[in-house]
Amino acid sequence: MELKTHFLYPSTLFASKTPYLVNTILGSCVAVCMYDPVLKIGGINHYMLPLWNGEGLASPKYGNIAIEKLLEKMTNNGSKKSNIIAKVFGGGEVIDTNISQFHIGERNILIAQQVLKELNIRISGQSLGGKNGRKIQFNTGTGAVLQKIIQKSLPG
Amino acid sequence: MYKITDEELLQELEKRFSENKNSIKELQKLTKQLKEVNGRLEESESLKSHFISNITNEIINPFAAILGLSRNILDVKKEDWNKVISMVQMIHSEAFHLDFQLKNIFAAAKLEAGDWMPEIVKVDIFQMIDNLAETFKYESNKKGLTILVESELGAPPGSSFYFYTDAEKLKIILSNLISNAVNFSHNEKDIIVKVWLKETKLCVSVIDHGVGVSEVNKKIIFDRFKRLDTGINSINRGHGLGLSVNKAILDLLNGFIELESYPNKKTTFTVCLPQGEVPEDDSFESSDGNEFLFDDDNSEMF
Repeated sequence: MELKTHFLYPSTLFASKTPYLVNTILGSCVAVCMYDPVLKIGGINHYMLPLWNGEGLASPKYGNIAIEKLLEKMTNNGSKKSNIIAKVFGGGEVIDTNISQFHIGERNILIAQQVLKELNIRISGQSLGGKNGRKIQFNTGTGAVLQKIIQKSLPG
Repeated sequence: MYKITDEELLQELEKRFSENKNSIKELQKLTKQLKEVNGRLEESESLKSHFISNITNEIINPFAAILGLSRNILDVKKEDWNKVISMVQMIHSEAFHLDFQLKNIFAAAKLEAGDWMPEIVKVDIFQMIDNLAETFKYESNKKGLTILVESELGAPPGSSFYFYTDAEKLKIILSNLISNAVNFSHNEKDIIVKVWLKETKLCVSVIDHGVGVSEVNKKIIFDRFKRLDTGINSINRGHGLGLSVNKAILDLLNGFIELESYPNKKTTFTVCLPQGEVPEDDSFESSDGNEFLFDDDNSEMF
């Protein structure tokens, strides 16, 4: 059966009770995929910056908010927090820089690992860092993620 | 064992000291940033509480006014029907304001929930601007303002110029800018809405001749619930959501917003956004063809 597909824009998140193929493109952004193997449902976010610092709206553009909101969506869909596992992708340094503050990819990765640890959610798979962008496809019904490394630098 | 000379030892020590110094410096810098962020979050929290208490003013009061006025109209006798017009104008004004505020609140809620996707359609830009100017007609007439549309697109205002973007979101962005321009303009001035292209991006500048934004305030006006004049006698209403909504929408559409202001002379807000791609039949589209197919060998499974 052909699955429905969804393209995930940066700063947004997606969770569904029915299986979907979710596609997204990551540069320095990070996507956290959450999967509940019991209910066989999943959800994914795509954030651009690690922490909300009071600037603008408290949207899922920021890692700390995006991860908590995604968990909230998963539990709203009926998942038990203890069943959820996570996979983390992205955080490449697609723009060369030596200034530590600008290492957005690295900071995005760090926040995913920290927040998931605090939430006691196990990371069962990951592909992080590096100099390249990624295209990923998450199957919310099986938890499987396909990844393809892309050469050209991307903003997302 | 290798013996080091005094000189080497000194060099090493010096190196370690300078490393230490650097990390202390870095730490101090980070602490300072942390303090700043902390301050902002505290402020955001208090603004949020303020916002909730303000809801009375912003939502209940207009409703009460609308109910009261419409009741008065029902009681008007047939021979006094000419009085009705001014009351209807007031109702319109209150309802307009309420509608505008609610749209921003809903937009902010959807943006914060992260499930508001771009919906790209073909938009007739001048028609959208004309419609918006029309909706702000009463508000601007009250202050004797004229909304002028200027074009640097090669097509004159009023003609058809199409651009692929998210109509609903662009409309919210522009109505926030026009609303601010109307609210903060001095009386009897022009408000200019200028449409132009920057490479392939569509830019709209909204220019007013009003109080403007000071250098200090430029940094904070995009913050949530931030209003520059919060005094009890403030004549300007609103939640301080408009510009933060604009910024979040522009992030989503890959655009940006710029501000240039000479207080009490001229203030220009410019938004630019790229042409959106129209997704084919709701499925994923990629600008470079089938690159997103994962059936070849160089994709990995996780």
